[in-house]
Amino acid sequence: MAKQPNLLNGPAPAELRRKYKIIIFFVMACFSLLLTRLWYLQVIKGDDLKQKSENNSVRFRKIKPLRGLIMDRNGTILVDNSPSFDVLYMPSKGKDPDRVLKKLRELYQNKGMDLSFDQPFPKNAKPFLPVKLEKNVNMEKVAIVETNALDLPGVYIDVTPVRQYIEGQVVAPFIGYTGEISKDELEKNVEEYTSGDVLGKYGIEKFLDSHIRGRRGAELVEVNVFGKEIKNVGRIDPISGYNVTLTIDANLQKVAWDALEGKAGAAVALDTRDGSVLAMVSAPSFDPNLFNSGISLAEWTKLLNNPLKPMSNRSISGQYPPGSTYKLIVAAAALEEGIITPETTFHCNGSFELGNRSYRCWLKKGHGSVNLHRALVESCDVYFYNVGKLLGVDTIAEYARRFGLGELTGIDLPNEKGGLIPTKQWKVERLKESWQLGETISISIGQGFNLVTPLQLAVAYSALANGGTIWRPRLINRIETTEGGIFKEYLPEKRGELGLTEKNIEILKYALWGVVNENGGTGRAARRPGSDVSGKTGTSQVISMPENDKVRRDKKINVFHRDHALFVCYAPRENPEIAIAIIVENAGHGGSAAAPVARKILDAYFNGKKKNVLKKPEAKIGLTDVTGNRQQ
Amino acid sequence: MILRFDRRILVNFDWTLLAIVLGICFIGVLNIFSAGYSLSEKQYPLYLKQIQWIALGLLCMLIVFFIDYRVISRIAYLIYGFSLALLVFVALYGYTSNGSQRWISFGSVFFQPSEFVKLTIIVALARYFDDHKSLEPYTLKELFVPLLILFVPFILVLKQPDLGTALILLIIFSSIILFIGINWRSFLIAVVVVLISMPVGWHFLKDYQKDRLLTFLSPENDPLGTGYHIIQSMIAIGSGGFLGKGFLKGSQTQLKFLPEQQTDFVFSVFAEEWGFAGGLVLMLLFIFLIVWGMKIALHSRDLLGTLISFGITALISWEVFINIGMVLGILPVVGIPLPFLSYGGSAMVVLLMSMGLLMNVSVHRFILQR
Repeated sequence: MAKQPNLLNGPAPAELRRKYKIIIFFVMACFSLLLTRLWYLQVIKGDDLKQKSENNSVRFRKIKPLRGLIMDRNGTILVDNSPSFDVLYMPSKGKDPDRVLKKLRELYQNKGMDLSFDQPFPKNAKPFLPVKLEKNVNMEKVAIVETNALDLPGVYIDVTPVRQYIEGQVVAPFIGYTGEISKDELEKNVEEYTSGDVLGKYGIEKFLDSHIRGRRGAELVEVNVFGKEIKNVGRIDPISGYNVTLTIDANLQKVAWDALEGKAGAAVALDTRDGSVLAMVSAPSFDPNLFNSGISLAEWTKLLNNPLKPMSNRSISGQYPPGSTYKLIVAAAALEEGIITPETTFHCNGSFELGNRSYRCWLKKGHGSVNLHRALVESCDVYFYNVGKLLGVDTIAEYARRFGLGELTGIDLPNEKGGLIPTKQWKVERLKESWQLGETISISIGQGFNLVTPLQLAVAYSALANGGTIWRPRLINRIETTEGGIFKEYLPEKRGELGLTEKNIEILKYALWGVVNENGGTGRAARRPGSDVSGKTGTSQVISMPENDKVRRDKKINVFHRDHALFVCYAPRENPEIAIAIIVENAGHGGSAAAPVARKILDAYFNGKKKNVLKKPEAKIGLTDVTGNRQQ
Repeated sequence: MILRFDRRILVNFDWTLLAIVLGICFIGVLNIFSAGYSLSEKQYPLYLKQIQWIALGLLCMLIVFFIDYRVISRIAYLIYGFSLALLVFVALYGYTSNGSQRWISFGSVFFQPSEFVKLTIIVALARYFDDHKSLEPYTLKELFVPLLILFVPFILVLKQPDLGTALILLIIFSSIILFIGINWRSFLIAVVVVLISMPVGWHFLKDYQKDRLLTFLSPENDPLGTGYHIIQSMIAIGSGGFLGKGFLKGSQTQLKFLPEQQTDFVFSVFAEEWGFAGGLVLMLLFIFLIVWGMKIALHSRDLLGTLISFGITALISWEVFINIGMVLGILPVVGIPLPFLSYGGSAMVVLLMSMGLLMNVSVHRFILQR
């Protein structure tokens, strides 16, 4: 190396070599220091520190925050938190997990209880990761584990907050549920969450997760050889999540649930004046508390595979043909376009001929000559076949859109479906086929390709009731800080106008009143003295039936092929306050199966109002400044 | 000469250097595997990501190796300017994590330009001193431009805030200045100026930055943070004993007592599982790498090569010393990663790039005969 020739420029090699020696000396000195320290820690103090690590010592523990409460409009708590006692097993502490499990099972059985952890202990369990044996156990089991700690090495109790859903099934479809973060969710939000975090999986719990969740705390605890905590070394308190007040009325919600329980269907009640959702029921439902004790795979698949789909919120994601409730839209279009006047009559002899096909009216003997009012009151199909044929599918679709059908209502919930309002262009693009006139005939009585959600129907009828305003349905009233200040307030939001003349609105409203209150009206089951209910029945075909009526009515046909019953209404006639949409699946006629459900909700609403139970939520003015900052 | 492939490049390739680097990288991957072993299986394992970063780094190393370092030096200021532009971009649009705005985000991949700056500063300084050779020690006046080269990225990195990297930039600069030779009076003045400017600079810091600095200076005030890290790190290392607890068997590691165990505190994981014996071997590997790097500096045919290889070797030496010193509890905790062992894509790629440059200088002493 010394043989290298001199550098042309730069420092002389002698000088460089001197520096090199100094540097190497310096580096060696530094590393000797490190090695000395390493020797000191590992060899001299090694045994000492080893013991510390084995008995150890200080443990860092995450503390789960309390999720915010969810309340109804009157402050009734719908979702709370409660402590969950979990039985855990630390593999590194126990030598023989299977024997410990056997012992625990024995102890349980002595008291007549079972250990729900029924599989053999996982072979690949990592020694320092606790295995959850049971979640959310009762106090008896806690007592057994605590008193037999010596016989159960490695087994201990951990307390964490879990969600408590009061009247779980009643509100589950929109409240949703929580669960431990999944692999996918974790990968999407590495920054925000860590493994083991609990987050909202569905409904409001998911929609408002970032506000409800709160912030994790942490704790440093000194632990003794048995894993028992001796001393708290330091702590950062968790921060509870914000509380949420919904627009829901818990009483009305319960009544609506009771009216639908045992059936499959949905009920939505809106405040016609601002779009607040007063009740939203989907049946059958599920118990969100199931997820607290760790739902088993069998239970989970059972829920998912249930043909009645208890995990879906039919009010916003159930898409049904609107049936005769759609006649309101066709009537509005016809009046507004000047195709008919209220006096225009068509003759119904029970069927309508187009080409070589015959379209039946639901009343086989026919309605005779009917005008618009009678056609709506008695729900005459033939009348609307005629009107629909004159209007054409695209004009009907335009009015359906004005009523907010076929598009998202914008409700503050995830998983909303938009439904479908077909047009000629849609069919060409989607099915690569041209539109058939016969399809227009089906569309005009709300069958065929038409699909709407119960919430959309409630919004549409609510708009007619309030004189033409489409409100965005809102479920969330406000989010409050833990101290009670308003963090965010959700105000009513106008989404559109029907754009109908006042005269036509009055004509339609009078007809809808007639449906419930006049002789021959299809919705008489919803009649309430004093509150002047107005509405429209509907029956939506699930599959097209052979022409023969007898087959259609035959009880022996597959339950899932029977028609859905619909009823949409609002009340009172003057200054309407509440609009309701009901669907009862596979239940037959709207007038007989759905209208009585609406009637029960209306009873509760107006009786409750009389008793002054249904308070208007008071705005807490003065608690917050304009920016929403908390003030004490 | 530059682009023509020279057979001598292969014949004289520095295989020893490559072997040491790959060896240390391999230990690093094993170690990250162990550190992440008992983490939830739900996450994509970091050691696999680290392998991908090493692969990318080796590619960069190869590219840097094949471009004559004198050609690189010609565009040194351009590269330096580019790295500054990245830092400015980070200051404006950077991705923030843990209260520090350090990253450029490409979807799920993050790049940390301050790592890149460590290398570009070295090359820019080497170029400057190669252009302005002097047999006399430099005075402060002559060092105006080098100081500028340091301070622009230094301030930008400090503002992120990233004290560790800023500190490393300062130390690298000082090492190069001391190596090239500085007038003793100028040196004393510089030290005095730095000491005086500290309280002045304090006023320009935001409250949270002051808090962070205070925590850094007295960790015991933050029992859940830095102080805890150090206690647990020392317990982990000490409990390893002479021979260690064995691969995947470190209880401190597997119990997650260790903080940042895949990044700044990887050495604790290693020392717990492999003991003093393992620590000794690893440090000998690092010493070998450093001595080898310094030898390359010594035997380079020109000042440029000497300065580049000295700068790179000094960077690695200081990072290793400060990181291990901090983990062993003899230096304050600053966020400085352990080269080749800490998890981190940007650092790994830049380090391997530096190794490419080192090999580049190494091979050219056989080629540049004239």
